[in-house]
Amino acid sequence: MTNAILTGLMLGGMYALIAMGLTLQYGVARIMNLSYGEFLIAAAFASHWLFTGWAVSPFVGLVLVVPLAFVLNFAIYKLLLTPLVRRAPNRDALEVDSILATFGLTFVIQGSMLALFGGAYYSYSFLAFPVQFLGETVAANRLAALGITILLGLALYLALTRTRAGTAVRAVAVDPFAAQLVAINVPQASALTFALGGALVAAAGVLVSTFLTFSASSGVVFTMKALIVVVMGGVGNMLGCLVAGLALGLSEALVASYVDPGLTLAVNFALFLAVLLVKPAGLFGRATR
Amino acid sequence: MLEVANLSLTYGLHRALDGVALNVGRGEIVTILGANGAGKTSLLKAIAGVVRTLPGKQVRLGGRDISALAAHDIVENGLALVPEGRGIFGDLTVKENLLLGANPKRARDGEAARREQVLELFPRLRERAAQIARTMSGGEQQMLAIGRALMSNPDILLLDEPSLGLSPAMVQELFATLRRVREAGVGLLLVEQNAQESLRIADRGYVLENGIIVGHGTADQLKSDPAVQRAYLGGAPAATPSS
Repeated sequence: MTNAILTGLMLGGMYALIAMGLTLQYGVARIMNLSYGEFLIAAAFASHWLFTGWAVSPFVGLVLVVPLAFVLNFAIYKLLLTPLVRRAPNRDALEVDSILATFGLTFVIQGSMLALFGGAYYSYSFLAFPVQFLGETVAANRLAALGITILLGLALYLALTRTRAGTAVRAVAVDPFAAQLVAINVPQASALTFALGGALVAAAGVLVSTFLTFSASSGVVFTMKALIVVVMGGVGNMLGCLVAGLALGLSEALVASYVDPGLTLAVNFALFLAVLLVKPAGLFGRATR
Repeated sequence: MLEVANLSLTYGLHRALDGVALNVGRGEIVTILGANGAGKTSLLKAIAGVVRTLPGKQVRLGGRDISALAAHDIVENGLALVPEGRGIFGDLTVKENLLLGANPKRARDGEAARREQVLELFPRLRERAAQIARTMSGGEQQMLAIGRALMSNPDILLLDEPSLGLSPAMVQELFATLRRVREAGVGLLLVEQNAQESLRIADRGYVLENGIIVGHGTADQLKSDPAVQRAYLGGAPAATPSS
């Protein structure tokens, strides 16, 4: 039982981490980024390349990959998405436009990765030894990933709730019209938040690559998972992200160990549906918009 | 302090504002009288830079040309808008709303002292600091909207229907507060459905009809103007008998 719960918590922590970036991009910048998972896989490949080619530890890899992802995502927002933002008559229209544009981007990134790395599965061995934790044996790499996830999540939560800049980011999510009345440069804040979301998913990619095998085409799985967590938790809500991610991870682990591992995906969606039936705006979402 | 000239605005084919010119001085309350749809809200939004206007407008604030600036830069220059419907951040707390009010760089110096002033003007906000803004009453939300705008250290404050939805007692309280804001040297441009009340506290007023300024004078002049009385002060001509 402890083992299943521990596995579930680690899995759930990872889901929460994966979803944090998307909830920022979707909640604040109003970009429904369907290519989100591709960025995760791209970061995983980057980490793989750094580790196997240059013997760079993924912890150091984080320091290299995450800022690069921030810059790259900022550029993507400025070059690719700003024209959409400009022409969209309202934020709902932007949502639809951004779905189409990022759907296209999915194929560009995935195609590039297929061309570079082929369709094979990749993995590398980092901290792949067992450790004792709460009386259970777990892989050290998963435990390390969980630790970093908790640190990142906590840092993000504090930044969003305890600083003026973070509060301003939330204000854009709540009401972009009113945001400009308190001297917030909304287009700039949206671009930076989108980039921050990209940096977070890159961090997730590096961490995931230390304990999961991945291929150039596994991005969509992560997009789906992130989307489920974001919608289930309530768009733009960090706490919702955490709770929904953990709920998803725990339910998967419990079902896998006590019912049937083949049912994990079914449980995912059953939980998702159940939450949306009871709270259509998500666990921590507002009923009206 | 605030000088506006040649301000025009269209929505599609409808001309909402046509060559509007006005000015508001330091420590002065200026009101805009006008019927529904006369363009009062559009006028405030256009000055604050949140709607696109026709080329050729001139907006100067304290001698600086702010005509071409985006809305967030206009706030940085010292002009704050309390929009119709208040525009507060409903999902954030009162404290966070006030924190964001001081987001402009011009508001950072003396932020603590200004917060004290605002909380003195609106003691209710102190009690409600940790409350989520949208769960407060309409009057409290209005106080927060004005308080948040004052946190930006404005030279000019634009107020769109601040008394909307407030009880008569609260309107009195609100207008007394606006007088105190004026005493602090802030210039107020006030749009009100309630012309009687707004002329009572205003120094001057403009009459806006179909997007055009058709009259202008001191509050006393406007109060005694028969046309103004007829149109806005309820000094209506004999009602046509209905049968």
